Amino acid sequence: MIHISDLTFSWPGQSNPTLQIKDLQIKTGERLFLHGPSGSGKSTLLSLLAGIQCAQQGNIKILNEDLSALNDAKRDKFRADHIGTIFQNFNLLPYLSPIDNVVLGCNFSKRRQANLKTEGATATSQATRLLAELGLDENTQHRAVNELSIGQQQRVAAARAFIGQPELIIADEPTSALDADNRDIFIKQLFEQAQQYQATILFVSHDVSLAPLFDRKVSLAEINGASL
Amino acid sequence: MTLINLAFKSIINRKASVLLTLFTIAISVMLLLSIERVRQEAKQSFSNTISGTDLIVGARTGDIQLLLSSVFRIGHANNGLSWQSYEYIKAQKGVAWTIPISLGDSHKGFSVLGSDESYFKHYRYGSKQTLQFEHGRPYHNAQEVVIGSEVAKQLHYYLRQEIVVAHGMGNTSFHHHDDNPLVIVGILEPTGTPVDKTLHVPLKAIELMHGPKHSIQHIAGRKDSSEDHDHDHDHDHDHDHQSHNYENLNSQPGDIIGQPKQITAFLMGFDSPFYTLQIRRNINIYKPEALSAIMPGVTLRELWSMLDIVEKILLLFSGVVVLISLLGMLTTLLSSLNQRRRELAILRSVGARPRHIFALMTSEAVLITALGCMLGVVLFYSLIIIGKGILQAQFGISITISMLSNYELLLLGVIMVSGTFIGAIPAIRAYFYSLNDGMSIKV
Repeated sequence: MIHISDLTFSWPGQSNPTLQIKDLQIKTGERLFLHGPSGSGKSTLLSLLAGIQCAQQGNIKILNEDLSALNDAKRDKFRADHIGTIFQNFNLLPYLSPIDNVVLGCNFSKRRQANLKTEGATATSQATRLLAELGLDENTQHRAVNELSIGQQQRVAAARAFIGQPELIIADEPTSALDADNRDIFIKQLFEQAQQYQATILFVSHDVSLAPLFDRKVSLAEINGASL
Repeated sequence: MTLINLAFKSIINRKASVLLTLFTIAISVMLLLSIERVRQEAKQSFSNTISGTDLIVGARTGDIQLLLSSVFRIGHANNGLSWQSYEYIKAQKGVAWTIPISLGDSHKGFSVLGSDESYFKHYRYGSKQTLQFEHGRPYHNAQEVVIGSEVAKQLHYYLRQEIVVAHGMGNTSFHHHDDNPLVIVGILEPTGTPVDKTLHVPLKAIELMHGPKHSIQHIAGRKDSSEDHDHDHDHDHDHDHQSHNYENLNSQPGDIIGQPKQITAFLMGFDSPFYTLQIRRNINIYKPEALSAIMPGVTLRELWSMLDIVEKILLLFSGVVVLISLLGMLTTLLSSLNQRRRELAILRSVGARPRHIFALMTSEAVLITALGCMLGVVLFYSLIIIGKGILQAQFGISITISMLSNYELLLLGVIMVSGTFIGAIPAIRAYFYSLNDGMSIKV
């Protein structure tokens, strides 16, 4: 699913590299827990995986597609088609309803829209189903986003990542604002959704107590040669 | 969800600042359209005032002054021309018709125009339309008056009512021809020209009003002013001169020309356009007195060319107002851009490309400009509905409530294009923000 080899990345103006990863492989359907302290390069790695930044050396292959070989527009398209992201601070658009926020997830991807069509669903029906499965009732789905609780907002963000069945779900510290009970419920729901179509989950957090919930744990500090 | 839909929802989310911008654009659009409409209508109104007249002849004066005073009742003619000259020119070969005009008196601020029966027969306005009577008929004798529609409307005059006229123009006159009351025998249909604000009397009436007192009693057509006028007529001047013989508007036709010494001007029509230049030349070199003959169309064009600079300045000012309002929109969009970098980053994270961000921002500018234009058009129509009466009453400009003209639509198109271009500035900035920020939200 993901294959990183001989990766080196430096931010412009910095002499020392931020990331140096010799080899990292993630299998299809795997639930990987990536942890590391602040400043270890987690966000940088995610922006490289999402195709926002480009590595100066080495390769990042997702679904056998070498991201460094794609131009900006194709990387954007690749991200829209194959990657769903859940942010730490949810990043919902406040002027859209939960349903509209979720639908937005497949707004810019024809592939995700085609996936929905194959399932015989529309974007709205899929958004409704996802939100219901993640525990948001019909009434809550149409309320203003800023009226929702933190946990509910996180579920909307998760539904947005899953709509249209992207192969890779990147979750960037999504549970940091949740208490322990809600955190576990949220991760369980995340896994259930991913299992439905064998999505790969790359879960980034500094909270190592979550690691046992995942198939595999990787410490960025250990694999990043730049921070050694 | 389309980008337009997204842009619309984003606009709604920032409704306070957007509404202010929208109103600024709407008011500037209203101003631009109003100035343009009044300009067009004023021009149309002027052009419609006279039609089918080949020459206007008056005492030697400036062409525009003669046109304004004789046709538009604006200003005064310095001199008149003699009746003999009128008769002489009228008798020239090729002259199809003439309309003598005598101006100088007024009634409650409305002009009084002395003429003869040819006025109702030959005067044309608009697309060579003749004057039509809404009520009554033309005058038959020197005691009768035909009033324009606006006079009737504003002064609440009706048929058979008696009125008196004053010497001189304006609302206030110290010399009333109180002993020469006139009976309203006709009310003209609206024409949208100065005719609507004019009282039409026979030349004879003008002569009598300025002649010896009581001579009105000699006018033919009034049975109680018969030849034996030695009865003791009570001239208490209480304006209660209601004629007993006008119940059915029946009156005896009488002399309506009299023996005028001077008239202000006269209008001429020819059998063939060939005569126009020839007779005009003859009039301009006419020896017995100094006369001017003008071609109304040519003089109107001269007038427009004089007013052209004023029109352009007015349009320029309203154009600047529109530009300022669009710059206001630019300020609003740019100032909100930094706060919206989070929103742009979210859109990038769900797959929006920089070109989508550019299109979104441009769509917002287009939407605001389009809504501003629509609101501006609504305000424009509201304004002309409200201001129609005032413009008609104060300036004699009749504004028609019609669809937007091609030129007005073109102006709106220019505003839309300008709005789009101006909206592209924050859109370009957002484009580069989205390239730099990516999914990492830095604000």
